[in-house]
Amino acid sequence: MSTDRELPRILRSWLHEDRHEVAEPIVDTVLAKISSTPQRRTRRTAGRDSLVNTYLKYALAAAAVVVIAVVVINLLPGSPAPGGEPSPSPQPTPSATASAEPSAPTDGSLAVGSSHVLWARLGAYGIDINVTIPGAGWFGAPGEGVLKKNNNADAPDGAGLIVFARTNDILVGLGDVYVYGDPCHWATTKPSTPVETVDEAIAALSAQPSRDATSPVDVTYDGYAGKYITLHVPDDAVFSDCDEGEFRTLVEGQDTPRSHEDPGQFDLFTVLDVNGELVIFDVAYYEGAEGTPGSVLDEMAAIMTSATLEYVD
Amino acid sequence: MDTRLVIQAQGGDQEAFAELAATIADRFLATSHRILSDIDLAEDATQQALLSVWQDLSQLRDPARFEAWSYRLLVRACYAEGRKSRRWAPNLRLLPADEPMAADGLSAVVDRDQLERAFRHLSVKHRVVVVLHYFLDKPLDEIAEILGVPIGTAASRLHYAMQGLRKTLDADAAARSREVAG
Repeated sequence: MSTDRELPRILRSWLHEDRHEVAEPIVDTVLAKISSTPQRRTRRTAGRDSLVNTYLKYALAAAAVVVIAVVVINLLPGSPAPGGEPSPSPQPTPSATASAEPSAPTDGSLAVGSSHVLWARLGAYGIDINVTIPGAGWFGAPGEGVLKKNNNADAPDGAGLIVFARTNDILVGLGDVYVYGDPCHWATTKPSTPVETVDEAIAALSAQPSRDATSPVDVTYDGYAGKYITLHVPDDAVFSDCDEGEFRTLVEGQDTPRSHEDPGQFDLFTVLDVNGELVIFDVAYYEGAEGTPGSVLDEMAAIMTSATLEYVD
Repeated sequence: MDTRLVIQAQGGDQEAFAELAATIADRFLATSHRILSDIDLAEDATQQALLSVWQDLSQLRDPARFEAWSYRLLVRACYAEGRKSRRWAPNLRLLPADEPMAADGLSAVVDRDQLERAFRHLSVKHRVVVVLHYFLDKPLDEIAEILGVPIGTAASRLHYAMQGLRKTLDADAAARSREVAG
């Protein structure tokens, strides 16, 4: 019976059999409860500010590009600790990105100089994020929020950029972010409530044990304020000893965790408040002589610099 | 769906919510029953989902999207009940004793039995896409919206769910053949 052609038909028929469900008592129970169950407040900021935010976004865009460039470079290896002296290192050079010759990918990678949809809103409302691909060998599916250099984010020299930007505009819980109390024992340390503000998110990230969190630093990115820190996966972490063999920092919604690739990974987490919704960028890399090449770190900085966020209201 | 009712309920109108709940409850229970394959768990999931609809209605941005939004809450409730199921429910083989005999006779009854067992072998996540697609007749883009995942992910889940069903059914058939041969 299980041929490809028959199975959908049989399945559909089986699912549509009458199973004698009676929902009325359930409704009665629910109605008895709602009189003592208040409706939750909305998390989203009101749309009345959108014009102001739009104005500010464009007014601040030029300055924000410079700020982000400094932020990313400061957090990459060889730079002083966040909050320290300004880095003398050269900033990423958008002009170099702009002058790169667009090239047709032959290996499935993204074309150099092309505009890439890093994240696309799932419904009519939400956040769109676009970036420019600064060099060869970047892989990522449009709208899925992940870029990897040479399709590899693993130790010792991989690099990747991940964004968590789902929103609660349409579906409750979709954009909720929960930061685990312990990234190794995440199954039993997921908090009961999501982080709702930049400060809550940064505090929860900073509190994770054994992550060597840097001090949080304020940042304004494309008109949206936030903070960043860097976390480290311990070099001696044994993932197989962790829950389900995964080392997780956070989970978005019910089913989108950030599971780290390998021990020793560094993650630059930037948390932004975008009209009341949290957007989290994770730039992942490795340090050391065998670590992520400096040229790739420069490219990640350029990607962040090029990013534009559009909140569709 | 009557968006007027949705808007009134968003404003805290309990009578409007009562009408809304009565409209969706049967479908919720039928859907969760099929996902969870257990009427007690399905009733709990339906109750929790309806309560969540009431509590979180103010967060619904577009009343016209109520259906997708409410199914999202139901799916979440099913995930929660499914976790309880994994802890407590034995993996019983159910015989369709109270099911009407189909026109195509004994072989169809056996097929339903096999199908029930194969379906129970799927994860709740995979059962959800199967039920949304083959019971509620939701296209993949609507399933993706309900689940909050890209369309490709929804398609992938459905593909692997169907593949899983086929594998279990084929393994079952092979085992039966061996029994007969033995």
